Amino acid sequence: MNGAAAWRRANRRHALIILAGGAALGTSFAADLATGPAMLPIPSVLRALSGLSDDTMLRAIVLTLRLPIALMAIAVGAALGVSGAVMQTILHNPLASSYTLGISAGAGFGAALVITIGAALPLPEAWAIPIAAFAFAGLACALVAGVGRMRGATPELLVLAGIACLFLFQSLLSLLQFIASPEALPQIVFWLFGSLQRASLSKAAIVTAMLVALSPVLMADAWRLTALRLGDERARALGVRVERLRLRAFVVVSLLTGAAVAFVGTIGFVGLVAPHIARMLVGEDQRLLLPASAMFGAVLLSVASVASKLILPGTVFPIGIITALIGVPFFAWLVLATGRGR
Amino acid sequence: MSSLFPRPSRRAVLTLALATPFISRAHAQPALTDALGRGVALKAPAERIVLGFNYEEFTAIAGPEGWNRVVGFSRTLWSDWRPSVFRRYLKPIPRLADLPDIGNTEDGTFSLERVLSLRPDLVILPEWSFTVLKDQVRQLEALGIPVLVIDYNAEIPERHVASTRAIGRATGNEDRAQTLARLYTDKLADIRARAKAAGTAPKVYLELGQGGPGVIGNTYWQSMWGRLFDLIGADNIAANHIAGGWGPLNPEYVLAADPDAIFIAGSSWVNKPAAVLTGFDADLATTRARLAPYARRQGWPELKAIRSGRLFAIEHGLSRALFDYTASYFIAKQLYPVQFTDIDPVAELRLYHERFLPVTFEGTWMARLTQDAA
Repeated sequence: MNGAAAWRRANRRHALIILAGGAALGTSFAADLATGPAMLPIPSVLRALSGLSDDTMLRAIVLTLRLPIALMAIAVGAALGVSGAVMQTILHNPLASSYTLGISAGAGFGAALVITIGAALPLPEAWAIPIAAFAFAGLACALVAGVGRMRGATPELLVLAGIACLFLFQSLLSLLQFIASPEALPQIVFWLFGSLQRASLSKAAIVTAMLVALSPVLMADAWRLTALRLGDERARALGVRVERLRLRAFVVVSLLTGAAVAFVGTIGFVGLVAPHIARMLVGEDQRLLLPASAMFGAVLLSVASVASKLILPGTVFPIGIITALIGVPFFAWLVLATGRGR
Repeated sequence: MSSLFPRPSRRAVLTLALATPFISRAHAQPALTDALGRGVALKAPAERIVLGFNYEEFTAIAGPEGWNRVVGFSRTLWSDWRPSVFRRYLKPIPRLADLPDIGNTEDGTFSLERVLSLRPDLVILPEWSFTVLKDQVRQLEALGIPVLVIDYNAEIPERHVASTRAIGRATGNEDRAQTLARLYTDKLADIRARAKAAGTAPKVYLELGQGGPGVIGNTYWQSMWGRLFDLIGADNIAANHIAGGWGPLNPEYVLAADPDAIFIAGSSWVNKPAAVLTGFDADLATTRARLAPYARRQGWPELKAIRSGRLFAIEHGLSRALFDYTASYFIAKQLYPVQFTDIDPVAELRLYHERFLPVTFEGTWMARLTQDAA
């Protein structure tokens, strides 16, 4: 078998995987729109979507409740998936995700701060919380990147700085929970659980815009990131300025994670598992791995969104709990299946 | 001239004269205001209500038949929080068995989609849900569905009255609501007058008995039990010693504060083997057996309250209810026995059930650990 034929076969396989992933995403999105505690018949959903329905309640359910959630699941899942892939690459650590370096802890603290201060702010809470969450995610990122700049951005140092940052914000968060009023406390807890219920079309648009704006920056670095997977020394030999690349990629994915987490709270696991699924299916080439991670992140969160409505019909499970419940068995199956093939 | 300014016809004048009293009456009638003083746009009694909490209050005001107007409720707040109470109400209100659940804010299951699918014409929320559902309330109001806030948890008498009147008006039971509001106001005034006459401020401590004596349960300040203590002039040792409205006290502080009376809040919790059991299904022996180990807690035998036998169990559901004046009677009677000799708090609670609720009163709702007054 010659190299060119093998390359063509791999290409075809990758195209198939991307197609299958896209089909899964489309199906899941449709299911997300079709399901919900209101148990609407599918023709009614279609009528509302096509704007043919005069029923305000039906339109409200489909267009202002379900549609933003379905879109948000995809945008946030994609953002977390691609962020996780980049984190795992730049930290040389398969356990890394956008949570490892304290970014989501920063976001959690920012959100809790606004919930605790509450009415004292001039902004409506629906926007003050994401803005504060994003700002503190940025602060966490700046702390870690600052250490990286001063002492050289080795993976070990970034992880240490990140863990310190994580504990700092977690203890500040605990402090807030301790002093929070009884009304604020459940709000903080549920924010931390993560939920797509807070979605709106404008919020989904913001996450999508961040994704669209920042993806080209990451894709431009795709081959350098692939080189980085070979190890810092080899990447350097290939002409990659390793530390600058690492910091740049870190800042970009922090922004992406911050934007995603700011609106939906800390939804874990997607950022950890989606890149692994993508890697098993399309390999290490970051030009493929990054979009594939985004796609599987989106599929995972979208499926979780559907499942959160089906597990107990009538109620909505916190999605943060569901993602792991769904992701773990699928992940285990994938690990076992691909392991046997080798 | 006359064509420019036509003289009003006799008929028009007559119509106007007849209509005027109606117009002025409509204006004199205040708009429906809820517990938070919000104006609620509701023209006629609601026919499709989504009810968030305070089911016993709703039943007392609107009667069992009032539930025919309810299309959805937060089920677990009743069926899981007060299972024995919920079971009792299932008989007179069979509709409860399969009334749709809208979830609740306490465990994050509240579903706006579920609420909308029930097509309500009024959503009644407790204040503690309302404050965390700002976005959802905005969406409901944008769809023209009014949201009415009730608040019995705050234990602010004005809010009890406003909540009661609002439910009465929203369900077309204004007279009954008025009776209940007056009963509550009068009883509270009586309790406060008697307590004031005592002229002392005994130290009290209340702890939630859900986890049993091995767990330091929450105590209350600023709302619920805390406010009830304030209303009767007792000196709540938790004041300024817990961060928010509720939380556990440092056990060492309880010993140092040496309260004159200790109340353990019980209920009909399930799967809590050490919990102090009270309510419909609890007999006095069980309640006392669950309460007794508290008196043997580390250091407690030395406390003034324990030595004088003033350790009590009281149903937790009485801390945020329209009939909580019965709990106030009970607490006040223990603190100021002389002023309350002629008062039987349990009889008050029984009477309330007979007059306003469709279930028969029984069980142990408030009790002293030791046989009789020392």
